[in-house]
Amino acid sequence: MSVAVRQPGPVIEAEPIRSRRGIVWETIKRRPSAALGAGILLVVVVCAVLAPWIAPYDPHEQVGPVFGRPSWSHPLGLDDGGIDMLSLLMWGCRISLVVGFAATFVSMVIGGTIGLAAGYFGGRTDNVLMRITDYFLVIPDVPLMIVVAAIWGPSLFHIVIVIGILLWTSTARVIRAQVKSVRERVYVKRARALGAGHTRIVVRHVLPQVAPLLIANTVLTIAVAIFDETALAFLGLGDPSRISLGKVIENAFQRAAISTGAWWAIVPPGALVAVIILGCSLLGGALEDALNPRLRVAHLSAKSFRLRPLVGRSPDAV
Amino acid sequence: MRGADYVIKRLAFAVLTVFIAVTINFALFRLAPGSAVTNLARVPHATPETRQALKRQFGLDKSKFQQYLIYLQQLAHGNLGISFANSQPVADNLRTALINSVPMVFLGTIFAIVLGTLTGIVAAWRRGTKTEGASLTTALTFYSMPTHWLGLMLVILFAGTLPTGGMSDEFLIDPSFTTHVKDLGEHILLPSLTLGLVLYGEYTLIVRSAMLETLGEDYVLTARAKGLKPWAILRRHALRNALLPITTLVALSLGYIVAGAILIETVFSWPGIGRAVYDAVLQRDYPMLQGAFLVLTCSVVFFNLVADLLYFRLDPRITE
Amino acid sequence: MSSLLELDDLHVWFDLGEGRELHAVQGVSLSLDAGQRLGLVGESGCGKTTTVLGLLGLLPPSASVSGRVVFNGKDILAGGEDSIRPHRWTDLAIVFQGAMNALNPVQTVSAQIVEALEVHDSASGRAARARVGELLEAVGIPRDRGNRYPHEFSGGMRQRAAIAMALACNPSVLVADEPTTALDVMVQAQILELLDALCRDFGLALLLVTHDLPVVAQLCDRAAVMYAGEIVEQGPVDALFHDSRHPYTRLLFAATPDLHSDGALAAIPGAPPRLDRPLEGCPFHPRCDRVFSRCPHEHPALKRLDGDREAACHLNDVPAEVA
Repeated sequence: MSVAVRQPGPVIEAEPIRSRRGIVWETIKRRPSAALGAGILLVVVVCAVLAPWIAPYDPHEQVGPVFGRPSWSHPLGLDDGGIDMLSLLMWGCRISLVVGFAATFVSMVIGGTIGLAAGYFGGRTDNVLMRITDYFLVIPDVPLMIVVAAIWGPSLFHIVIVIGILLWTSTARVIRAQVKSVRERVYVKRARALGAGHTRIVVRHVLPQVAPLLIANTVLTIAVAIFDETALAFLGLGDPSRISLGKVIENAFQRAAISTGAWWAIVPPGALVAVIILGCSLLGGALEDALNPRLRVAHLSAKSFRLRPLVGRSPDAV
Repeated sequence: MRGADYVIKRLAFAVLTVFIAVTINFALFRLAPGSAVTNLARVPHATPETRQALKRQFGLDKSKFQQYLIYLQQLAHGNLGISFANSQPVADNLRTALINSVPMVFLGTIFAIVLGTLTGIVAAWRRGTKTEGASLTTALTFYSMPTHWLGLMLVILFAGTLPTGGMSDEFLIDPSFTTHVKDLGEHILLPSLTLGLVLYGEYTLIVRSAMLETLGEDYVLTARAKGLKPWAILRRHALRNALLPITTLVALSLGYIVAGAILIETVFSWPGIGRAVYDAVLQRDYPMLQGAFLVLTCSVVFFNLVADLLYFRLDPRITE
Repeated sequence: MSSLLELDDLHVWFDLGEGRELHAVQGVSLSLDAGQRLGLVGESGCGKTTTVLGLLGLLPPSASVSGRVVFNGKDILAGGEDSIRPHRWTDLAIVFQGAMNALNPVQTVSAQIVEALEVHDSASGRAARARVGELLEAVGIPRDRGNRYPHEFSGGMRQRAAIAMALACNPSVLVADEPTTALDVMVQAQILELLDALCRDFGLALLLVTHDLPVVAQLCDRAAVMYAGEIVEQGPVDALFHDSRHPYTRLLFAATPDLHSDGALAAIPGAPPRLDRPLEGCPFHPRCDRVFSRCPHEHPALKRLDGDREAACHLNDVPAEVA
């Protein structure tokens, strides 16, 4: 009959999106928020890794009076044990990041597997898995974490597992949606028709498409994991033998840093956590945006279309 | 009635979820290793008679499965055991705590929703401008701050001017009504402000996202073509439709409110249910912990149900 | 003879970011008299929808416009959004493609028509509801159905409702943008008949945008063919079909399958040009079957030919070639 139907709107030639593998790096290069987020995380990770070498003091060694004020030799002052805050922060970063990454890894494995299975196999598997996910979603995370941590006992390992088993739900949902859409693509159907086994299809076709979204989700989950660690530590459920940023805040709170006026014991560690979470949110959010681009034209906006002077093409006389 | 099936389905789901939560609760506390410690009857400073009564009530000498059934039965009667800390019925303690929590959490949530909605609409409306960037950055910054840390920041900031602990001034003797109200008001301000600030960022993002979706829909173009003014289009078409995803996502965030409440009540010594959890953990008061967890889970299930029903009311397309 | 609606040298650009621009509409001039029916035809992406959106000022903020939109002698585009808005619906109404979401899904159909009436102070309360009933009847929807939501209507009924809404404030010009494209063939015929009858009964001028030539043939007296943002030929529909003066028009008609002929289907090879770069020569020359030396270098201007026809093709300057 006639040419294919299109949605009303201008034909905008979008920049071709290269293979999805490169999209993570592309986004970081192109979007300032992603670059900022990535930058923050890079600096923090490097500092944490190099802490044993670049921390000015030993985090267990008392180098001055309790809640000593900030000074040139101790730019962030001293904590309730006379320990240099700056070094404490650098070392605390390590534990916080380790917990964050480890817990996220656990949740990624669980959530990714469940999401993959639900999205790929569909049908009853999907229904059952999604029901389970729904129930987990309803149960409030932090209270459950508190209860489990209280019963199980505080240790780094327990904390990681506890956080991990509660964060997987969002990953599962996101991965499931993506796997579902990939599964419907022509080349996957073709591979199935050719008799390719499930493993092969998943590994060669589904995973590469799902990977960038998984990365975005992982980054955002790290933010939540780090927050959860500080929350647990603050409530006294952290590992008492390790210094994490959450523990630093808790110590200060417990030892009446506020009434003593020692704000430097509280402000920097929390600010550092906030910065890390901000970095993760910026990077993860930018990646998510890049992977689900909103190409919609806004039909309503504060700004209006602009008027230009008449172009004028002289009409040819007959 | 339209969608009676839908309502029933959601109710059934809610009931089922509560049931599962109760079961998990039981499993955690009774079946976990070291459950001798969590034994409900081991109330310190209790008389042997009380202990015996508890043992009988909860059938602590029977098999695990029987204990489970008895637990359910006791639950139905509102018996959650006796608190280890103050030897009072857990149910009574929780009731008081809940009553204390509600105004503070309510105020904070309202503040967050209002502020989040306003900033979200502004950000979507002024897309691509500096205003959008600024409001998003601010929202994201507050969102990134650990709840308890923000609370502590506010305490440091307002230490002299506003009370930073407790729900009311214990030293006020026989205060007049206005003084009492003013006192409560002063005490509730910082904790609810903390909750509001921490929450609003997420709502800004949710509202902005939902608005950007609806602003790109065809019916907005139709409304504009009809000659409606921008504000009317925004309100009656874009926002009205954006309410649907917003309601769902706000409900999903309620679990976070609960978590936030725990941390805030700890910082501000607010005698609410969050603080009850904290104290219970500190004192290893397992019956309280168990009871509080149950209450918190039920409240989240409840608000999710409310959100589901609200969505149903808002979206005429739901019929099945 | 002053027309009811006149578009004079309308240009629309879209800002693509990074300094690039899409020149979607390149100097379109049209005129529509009262009661007249003009079809705006072309492939997807040729700029016909953008033209029509531009005429009503319904463009996004990334757009820039130049040109004049003259309604009853007044240039309504001159003041931008503020000068166009008062004319929307009361003078110029539009019916979009009947997609699911062209109507607000959370409002009843009556409520949306009442909204149109109230915004323009045409009626309110009981009078408004009575008018809604009239309008629904006029388009063939039972009155009581108005209290239903759009998702409860079939595609054809939704389109009828959209037409009813468009007529609410007694406009003098009805713009229809692909009104039947999303519908089944049977329903298409009904909607076209409806449009025909309504325009006749209410004396409306009709600007029909479509890629579907038989639709234009059925409803319109005149047609303008668009390609790559420009009008390449304009004139009475019969003349365009039997005696086209632009290769694209001819090929377009030839590409329409005809139940009564045995000829092979002739698709036009190639694709329309990108509009984010300046074009050299005739925009159609890469796909033209009559291309000659002048075409790649010189842009053909839209020239008036005998009668009230216009065409933009170099072939019209070379009488011997046109056969």
